[in-house]
Amino acid sequence: MARRGRQALFFLLPMLILVVAFYILPLILTAWISFTPLTNWRVRDQLDDFVGLENYVNLYYLARYDPDFHKVLQTTLVFVTFTLFINVVGGLVLAILTYLIDERISLAYRLLWLLPRMTPLAVFGLLWYYFFYGGPQGTLNSFLLKLGVIDEPVRWGTDPAMLPYSAWAIIVFVNGLVGVSYGMIIFYSAFKNIPRELIIAARVDGARTWEVIRHILVPMVRWHIVFVTVWQLLSLITSYTHLFVLVQWSVVDKWYGTTLALYVFNTAFFDVKNQGFAAAAAVILVIIGSILGLVTLRIMRFSQMISPPRGDI
Amino acid sequence: MGEGIGEGGPLVRGTMGIVIILALLLASLPIIMTYSTLILTSFANTIVSSPWVKFRFTLENWRLFLEGKLAPTAGVVYTPEDILRFIVNTAIVAGGVTLVVLAASVTSAYAFSRMNFFMRSGMMRLLILLHAFPGVALIVGVYAIYVFLNSYIPRDYSVYYSFIFVIIARASLEIPMAIWILKGFFDRVPWELEWATIVDGGSRLTALRTAVLPLVKPGIAAVAIFAFLAGWEDLIYVLVFLPPHEKTLATYIESQLGSGTLETTYLPVVAAAGTLYLIPTIIFFVVTQRLLLETMSGGLKG
Repeated sequence: MARRGRQALFFLLPMLILVVAFYILPLILTAWISFTPLTNWRVRDQLDDFVGLENYVNLYYLARYDPDFHKVLQTTLVFVTFTLFINVVGGLVLAILTYLIDERISLAYRLLWLLPRMTPLAVFGLLWYYFFYGGPQGTLNSFLLKLGVIDEPVRWGTDPAMLPYSAWAIIVFVNGLVGVSYGMIIFYSAFKNIPRELIIAARVDGARTWEVIRHILVPMVRWHIVFVTVWQLLSLITSYTHLFVLVQWSVVDKWYGTTLALYVFNTAFFDVKNQGFAAAAAVILVIIGSILGLVTLRIMRFSQMISPPRGDI
Repeated sequence: MGEGIGEGGPLVRGTMGIVIILALLLASLPIIMTYSTLILTSFANTIVSSPWVKFRFTLENWRLFLEGKLAPTAGVVYTPEDILRFIVNTAIVAGGVTLVVLAASVTSAYAFSRMNFFMRSGMMRLLILLHAFPGVALIVGVYAIYVFLNSYIPRDYSVYYSFIFVIIARASLEIPMAIWILKGFFDRVPWELEWATIVDGGSRLTALRTAVLPLVKPGIAAVAIFAFLAGWEDLIYVLVFLPPHEKTLATYIESQLGSGTLETTYLPVVAAAGTLYLIPTIIFFVVTQRLLLETMSGGLKG
């Protein structure tokens, strides 16, 4: 037994070292930092200075009284809700449509929709920078000017007259394009596991396409829908990278484009460089994230997925 | 209604099929349009934002970009930037991340697939949680470690330290998923093959190397590609950890559009940078189509 344990340890060691050094230790440190006044990364001077719950209390006051922070909380709520809707429903629609059509065309479409997910962040941001560009050269402006819908170019994400809705629409749309492929792939591969005879039999019995979708396809992926919803909820609450680019390049308004996760990142690294405060907000995110993560594991009925190892000697 | 649905053919044919294909095309227009705007603009003298924009074909943007002259219209004095170095930096990070991910995930995935040990299922569960973990909470702690260790590094080596740190830190984010993907591939290899090697007196490591690894090449390729693209596309970690003069293509583009530089930025040149940056992604995409889709669904399910 001991020999076996040592052998497994030998194989697992590289992974264990990285997990401890880059997940567990940083997590403990973040929680620690949330009780210190750390600013400007003066880790040598301030890391053993304790301020108790001060950062958390500040967070509470900010949430109550600060108008900019209110915008952040509102934006988080709107962003997560609507993007989640797009990701789940849009993913389901894409999966159904690509499942029904000719395989080669379907492959092309699925790849096309996967492209935003695989595109480097900076390039994806660049695409939408050109698209929503405030001058007459911006794609959206150019189209609407040509069609006569608008008379002069509009600064889509930053014009105060249209805030907050325009900025929210942009961040939801841009992130939706990235997120929707996740549901598409999961649902599509679930559809592929449905025996074809089942659908063919239904068609022979005279079922319309809509009835096949409603009575066979959707019920078959019930569990997948729940799983994708929770998993995407988790990832949306904690995602900030795409929003970072949009805000940094002024594609959208600063506060109506900032969610809580991005707020943590900017507070720690760019704006005020107050890491103690940022860490306190991060801890709140971790708590929300952990709860959702555990729920996901339940939903996935995880224990069924862990088959016993083969070849254990 | 049911006629014409043969084995393997599309489930919807005729008018309805065409309607669906056109609806998908319509929905895909924003994607198609934005990517073509980027690529066309890199070869044009203006932003090619819509089909009726009149533009002249030119390689001027690419020349200016590769010479590092990024503000051709501004009358200010500027020093050309070393673009080749940015490209090499991007490749170093991407290559490094690939190596670290492979080194740490192959043996672990093998162990999870083939051995039973204390806390095995607990660890697999933990890996899933880690994959979904709020990255922003981690990066604060990881940067604190970075700063702390940095004070022990001699100044001359500080750049190497930054690169090594950013590579390992970025690779760590990819490891949970990489292990799950690889474990799936290992699970499909019949155990008898290794057994034969072990009966002949070989160690587990020999069995892994000679009997199993050749059979999971597609899995290793998939994980390597995902890791490479993750390192290649990274903006946040590079921006945070590398010193400002050591740019990658991502941070270079970021610096061109970030606040304060916009007045001097000539957007068609940035389009050339973006297009060049996109090339490896497109290549992997075209070459590995099915492997990519299958691995994503298999890996994500887990």
